[in-house]
Amino acid sequence: MTLSSLFRSLPISLLYCIFLIPIPLYFYWGTVNQLGPDPMRFLEHKYGELGLIFLLTTLSISPLFKYAKINLMRYRRCIGLVAFYYIVSHICVYFFLDIGLSIDILLSDLQKRYYIIAGFFAFITLIPLALTSNNFALRKLDIKTWNRIHSLIYIAIVLSIFHFILMSKTWTGELYLYTGITIFILILKIKSTKLYKKLSTYSNADISK
Amino acid sequence: MVDEVVNIIGSYILKILKYSDVTPKNLYLNRRKFVEGLGLTSLAFVATPTTAKLSYSTSAKPNTIDEITNYNNFYEFGTSKTDPAKYAHSLTTDPWEITFEGVSQNKKKFDLPEILKGKAIQERIYRLRCVEGWSMVIPWIGFPLRDLINELEIDSDAKFVAFETVYRPTEMRGQKRATLDWPYREGLTIEEALHPLTFIATGLYGKELPNQNGAPFRLVVPWKYGFKSIKSITKISFIKEQPYTTWSSKSPREYGFYSNVNPNVDHPRWSQATERVIGEGLFGERRKTELFNGYIEEVGDLYKGMDLKKYY
Repeated sequence: MTLSSLFRSLPISLLYCIFLIPIPLYFYWGTVNQLGPDPMRFLEHKYGELGLIFLLTTLSISPLFKYAKINLMRYRRCIGLVAFYYIVSHICVYFFLDIGLSIDILLSDLQKRYYIIAGFFAFITLIPLALTSNNFALRKLDIKTWNRIHSLIYIAIVLSIFHFILMSKTWTGELYLYTGITIFILILKIKSTKLYKKLSTYSNADISK
Repeated sequence: MVDEVVNIIGSYILKILKYSDVTPKNLYLNRRKFVEGLGLTSLAFVATPTTAKLSYSTSAKPNTIDEITNYNNFYEFGTSKTDPAKYAHSLTTDPWEITFEGVSQNKKKFDLPEILKGKAIQERIYRLRCVEGWSMVIPWIGFPLRDLINELEIDSDAKFVAFETVYRPTEMRGQKRATLDWPYREGLTIEEALHPLTFIATGLYGKELPNQNGAPFRLVVPWKYGFKSIKSITKISFIKEQPYTTWSSKSPREYGFYSNVNPNVDHPRWSQATERVIGEGLFGERRKTELFNGYIEEVGDLYKGMDLKKYY
C-alpha cells in the first residue's frame, strides 16, 4: 500500500469508527442502566432511528452532488453500510431483548403486525445492497446490474418510513421530519428518471401543438 | 412483639403525617389535631386490621419515584416519555378549580381544598398497564372517586361520567400542536366510576403529586389501559349518553371506550398478550398481561356477559 492510498483510506476507516461507536456505547449505557426507565425500548428505538438517519443521509448524497455541487460521493458506501449495521443492531435488540428470542412471537408478528412486516421487508431489500457494497462486487457485476440492485434503497426507505408511521400512536415532530425528507428525496429521484423525462417531453410536445 | 406493634403504629402515624404534603395547608392543621388523637385509634387499628384497604393494593414491588416521574405519557407537554418531566413544571396547579355538570346542587364549582376537605386520604398501590405494552406499579395517595360522587347531587338519569383535562396552551406546550383533539377527555360508566377501585390520586409515594403525573387531581382506573386514567382534571360531568373520549375518537378501531386491559384482545397494530415491566433493566423479561390487569375478582362482575371483543 502506497502512502497516498493510506491517506485516502484512513479518514474513511476513521469515519466508520466515529459513526459506529454509538452502537456499543448505547449498549453499554443500557447494561449499566443509564438509558432511563425503559432501556430496551430506548436502545431499540435509538438504533432504528439512527439507521433511518444514516439511510436518509446516504440517499441525499447523490442529490447534494447534483443540485448543490457538494461532493460526498466518497463517503456514500461508508454511510450506507453504517446505516445497515444500525438496522442489524436494531433487529438484534428486537429479537434478543424485546421478544426474548421467541420464534412464536416473531412468526405471529410477521403475520399480523404491519409495522413489523414493513420493517422486515425493508431489511430484506437492504441485504443485497450491503453484500454488494464492496470493490469485489463492483468489479464482478456490470454497472447496470449494480445500479439496479442499489436502487432498491428507494423501496427500503419507503418501507422504513411506513414501519415508523405504523408503529407510532400519533404524528410526532420526528415523524413529520423524516417523512418530509423522504418525500423530498423521492420527488428529486422521480424527476431524474428517464420515464419522467420522457413523459414531460411528451406533455410539453402536447402543449406546443 | 412489643417492638413490632410499635413499629406498625409508628409507620401508620408516619403515613398519615405524610398526608400533610398532599393536603392543602388550611386542612393540614386540622389533621395534626387528628394525629394527636390517634393514640387510641391506631391501637384499635392494630387489633382489627382493616382488610378492605389492604386488599385493594397489589403486593407487587412499586417502581422507584425516578421511574414513575421520568417515564410519562402526557401529550399536553410533548409526545416523548421524557417531555412531561422536562416541561410540566410550567403548569399552575394552585389554585385549582373543578367544575361539575349534571348535578342539581346550586354550587357547581369547587376549589380543590373544598373537595379534599373531610376525605379520608389513603394509599393504593396499583398496577398501571399502558396500551403501548409496558407496565409499572405505583403507590398512589388519594381517595376513591365514589367518596366524591356520593357527596354530589348527581342527576338521577346519569349513566356516564365524563372527565376533562385543563386546556391551557400557554402552560402546556404540547397543546399548541394538534397532536390530539384538545382538551383531553375521558369517560367511565357510572358503575365503573362508583367502583371502590376507581381512585382519585392527589399524590404518590406519600408526597404531593408531581405535575408530570397529572397534578393536582387525576383519575386512576387500574383495570383499564393507562390513557383512561385522565390527568389534571378540571371538569367532571354526569351525563346520559356515552361521552366523547379523546383516543377512541381519534382511532375508534384501536382504542375502545371501555379499554379494559385484556391480553386476548390485541391492539390492531400490536399484541397485548405480554408487557414490559419498567424497572427490570435491559434484559428484563416480559410479563404475561392479565385480564382486567389482574383485578378480575374486583371488577369481573361489571362486565358479566359482555362480549369483550366487541366492547374493547
